[in-house]
Amino acid sequence: MLINYIKLTFKVMLRKKYYTALTLVGISLTIMIVTIFASFIDQIISANPPEVNRDKTLIVDKVSVFKNGEQTDAMPSLIFLQKNIKDLESTEAISYFSTKQFISLLNGKAAGHSLNFTDENFWKITDFNFLEGKAFDINEVKKGARVAVINEKTKAYFFNESEALGKTINIYGLSYKVIGVVKSATPFSKVYSDVYVPYTTDANVQLTEKEIEGTYSAMLLAKTIDLKKVRTELKARLKGKSMISGADSVKVHAFTALEQFAKSSSRNDDEPEYGKTAIVVLVVLTLFMLIPAISLVNINITRIGERAEEIGVRKSFGATSGTLVTQLIIENIIITLIGGLIGLGLSVYASQLLVHFINTFDPLFKMPTDSFVISWQVFSFCLFSCLLLGLISGVYPAWKMSRMNVIYALKGGNNV
Amino acid sequence: MNIEKIYRTNTIETTALNNINMNINKGEFVSIMGPSGCGKSTLLNIMGLLDAPTGGTITIDDKSVTSLSRKKLAAFRNLKLGFIFQSYHLINDLSVIDNVELPLLYRSGISGVERRKRALEALEKVGLSARTKHYPNQLSGGQRQRVAIARAIIGNPEILLADEPTGNLDSAMGEEVMNLMLHLNKTDGTTIVMVTHDEQMAKKTQRVIHFFDGQQVS
Repeated sequence: MLINYIKLTFKVMLRKKYYTALTLVGISLTIMIVTIFASFIDQIISANPPEVNRDKTLIVDKVSVFKNGEQTDAMPSLIFLQKNIKDLESTEAISYFSTKQFISLLNGKAAGHSLNFTDENFWKITDFNFLEGKAFDINEVKKGARVAVINEKTKAYFFNESEALGKTINIYGLSYKVIGVVKSATPFSKVYSDVYVPYTTDANVQLTEKEIEGTYSAMLLAKTIDLKKVRTELKARLKGKSMISGADSVKVHAFTALEQFAKSSSRNDDEPEYGKTAIVVLVVLTLFMLIPAISLVNINITRIGERAEEIGVRKSFGATSGTLVTQLIIENIIITLIGGLIGLGLSVYASQLLVHFINTFDPLFKMPTDSFVISWQVFSFCLFSCLLLGLISGVYPAWKMSRMNVIYALKGGNNV
Repeated sequence: MNIEKIYRTNTIETTALNNINMNINKGEFVSIMGPSGCGKSTLLNIMGLLDAPTGGTITIDDKSVTSLSRKKLAAFRNLKLGFIFQSYHLINDLSVIDNVELPLLYRSGISGVERRKRALEALEKVGLSARTKHYPNQLSGGQRQRVAIARAIIGNPEILLADEPTGNLDSAMGEEVMNLMLHLNKTDGTTIVMVTHDEQMAKKTQRVIHFFDGQQVS
């Protein structure tokens, strides 16, 4: 029976070219935007390379300092992190990093680049794909060696297609030797940077970093998926010390990428609220799809209405309302899936256009145009969205038509 | 028995059928005649369980079917009844064979292969086995009506209800379709109730019932 429905769907689609085109444009544009939205969220929260350990990596990028009953939030300083967040038993590795920016001049043209001051553990927690060379090691970090790992976009900018290893790039007036080239992380990731250098070469640490507040973050790779252990240990570590001058107490915020995203819907920005976030995402998605769905409902009512005679015939020969609803919804879902596939394809081009558009706002710092990645999670989400759109836009017209009086239906749906 | 059909609006009440008592025997070929608007098609629709009477009961095989649920009515139509319409009512987006096998889609336990086999048999019976892959708009009126007959008989219904089956056909084609129905009645023992305007066609059936103004007059 399903083959029958599929065959019929294509026949009707080809016969009603105007409605088909209108429907497909509506669906594909909706799914295109949903895909870009999903891809953006996926890059922020999913365990995609190079952040393959995202589900057991906690990021400490905020401290709350309590003093005389007042709370101040800030990024932690390197000194604070090194003093208090180290050698945790529940962690496998801890890395400190700070993302900054620098301007380069090449052939008289200025360009902006992001710069990541970090350590050797950064490369253990992440899983960057090294296209050339290697990462810097503990000795190079300890020595403050001026070595750099650059991403492929930076390599292409400075050295075109030629070998980058051993060549130098100038950062804040100092020469750094390129020792590795990695595949770019997504620009929305915490670990994205154009250039990575040892944090021991950060000349501004003394100037910008205070005892607690600063510009650094820590990445904590837990031994197991049980992150509660790490949090408990962190809490105990801070509670047991009286080293924090001038503050009554200090609280560090340690969250995974997913938790960071989930707490964005939390009013006090304190604890993640998964249920609330999921509801917010679903509501946004439904509201976003509601307008095209309403248009599709109208198109479908007309489209199905023109098939009243067919519905009458099917009913005469024993089709129940339920069978007809199923048939019409399946047909609608097939059309939605076709529109969804077109939308998925369009999203690749649209995302590149979007990046070009975003890049026009900042002449110095450019995002790579292939920033949006369609992972299998994004693909599954799109599939789910297609089904949802197919259901939302198909159920009412199908139900309405299936209830049509058979005599009237046979007369072509007049008087309905 | 005592079939009544009244159409009501806010202001007008129109009686389409008034106190109809009719008995049709198994294997009989009956034609219903009467002028336009006398209620013969309404009666056929009620007999085919496509429309509900305002009053009275319909009994098929000693079983009252008037109060059956929509779902049960659909199943009953599928198993026991076959319809032939004046304007064929074929689905233009489906090929001839797909149109013919349509009633079997709504019958459980019949595989796709079995459906195809039975559709071919039905098309052979109406002499259209060479047109299986054609579409309705590629056929003549007579051929379309024969496809409609094949669709009506594929499920081996006990009763065929034909609403002016030759009304849209020229006399030669009409004759062809009529002969086909006579053959089905004779060889398969199918009960046929036919609504017609054509006296010549009606004469070929075993019994003619005349209608006038919603009432049976003979």
